Amino acid sequence: MRAPGPPDQFSPYDAATQPAALVPDYKETLTRNPARALVARPATLTEITGPTHLARKLPTGMHDLSRKNPDGPRAMGQHILVRGRLLDEDGLPVRGSVIELWHANAAGRYLHPMDAQSPAPLDDNFLGSGRVLTDQEGRYEFVTVKPGAYPVPNHAERWWRPPHIHISVFGEGFMSRLVTQMFFPGDPLNEVDLILNAVPDAKGRARMVARQTAMMDMPVLNMVGYEHDIVVRGERSTPFEKPHA
Amino acid sequence: MSKPVPTPSATVGPFFPPHYFGAGDNDLSFIDDAAQRAQGQRIYIAGRVYEANRVPRWNTILELWQADANGCFAHPNDPRAAQADPNFMGWGRRWTENDGFFDFVSVKPGGYLDPLTGQMRAPHINVSVMGSGLMRRLVTTLFFPGEPGNAADPVFAAVGDPAAQARLILKPAKLERAPAGALAYALDIVLQGEDETPFFID
Repeated sequence: MRAPGPPDQFSPYDAATQPAALVPDYKETLTRNPARALVARPATLTEITGPTHLARKLPTGMHDLSRKNPDGPRAMGQHILVRGRLLDEDGLPVRGSVIELWHANAAGRYLHPMDAQSPAPLDDNFLGSGRVLTDQEGRYEFVTVKPGAYPVPNHAERWWRPPHIHISVFGEGFMSRLVTQMFFPGDPLNEVDLILNAVPDAKGRARMVARQTAMMDMPVLNMVGYEHDIVVRGERSTPFEKPHA
Repeated sequence: MSKPVPTPSATVGPFFPPHYFGAGDNDLSFIDDAAQRAQGQRIYIAGRVYEANRVPRWNTILELWQADANGCFAHPNDPRAAQADPNFMGWGRRWTENDGFFDFVSVKPGGYLDPLTGQMRAPHINVSVMGSGLMRRLVTTLFFPGEPGNAADPVFAAVGDPAAQARLILKPAKLERAPAGALAYALDIVLQGEDETPFFID
């Protein structure tokens, strides 16, 4: 059987598995979301296509966030390796797809002008963001340091963000674009985070939490490994031989 | 083995790395070599993003996706992909500045006969809006003024209300920053309010 092409069918998301648009205690959601109902529209060619060679616009190959140059000193904090696969709803790998990843340093501070008021220190050796392409099996891999938690500025209720990593993926069509966050297993702050808990379904929330791998799998001794697969929307309307999972 | 379920979306938050925006990311009229311009009429689109109460919303990320000047996509799902302009990718990205300002350079997309619906799509540009306070992206579609195909376009028609449809139509404007020879258009994106931009179910 011929190798299947890209997904051409994008069903609406199951609301229980995606976050609520409005989160009352996250007040920015209340003024930035439309008050009117979203309009249903048919999917056309524009929706089921997307950029195929995005790396020509977005330079990739930046997979080590833990230092500013390959021979330079490493940032402070627990070194970690984050890897996983980018898959579609048929369970097929999304190949050659851009993945962008950014997060706070080990002290809980972002390398970003918006975080200039943070009392947490910057780390001169921390790169803070990276961008890679998935391989032929849809795999991606980043080396970094474990981000710290931080209190959300100007939030009266003292909302602390648990350690998390922002991940931006494109998939193979306009309808597969996804920006998500990856959380670390077992952190007590996960239980009270407004963003993670905006997803109603417990199984949905679990899909945002990475799995810690056995230490012996690590290429470097002092790294803790995390596996995190990401699934983007999209299936094929024509039958093909499903991969054995 | 159950079918994989899409990973939940989460807000981009306020800290999307500024260096992710490269020079030329908001210019769709070339890919990586500015000397190799895409075919077609160059266009320039500028406007502001507002949240509720007409407060300019800065630090918002906009991404565009559109067909080339002949209505083709360089993507395997387009039966006409082989005819697609090799100097056109169709994708661009821009963040909004302190006053909510954004601008893009592109070429005017062509319309096409859509193989999924069997209907004609009028020239249009898909827009994703992402940022702090948006747990999921918002998506909308921009149309061009005076296009006879707008009324019958299945996405434009789905909006229904003529006042809401009008908010999706680019407005011809004299804009100083427009490149020479580009048709200039203004369009504001209003996330919430009286003159709210219509957004579609993603």
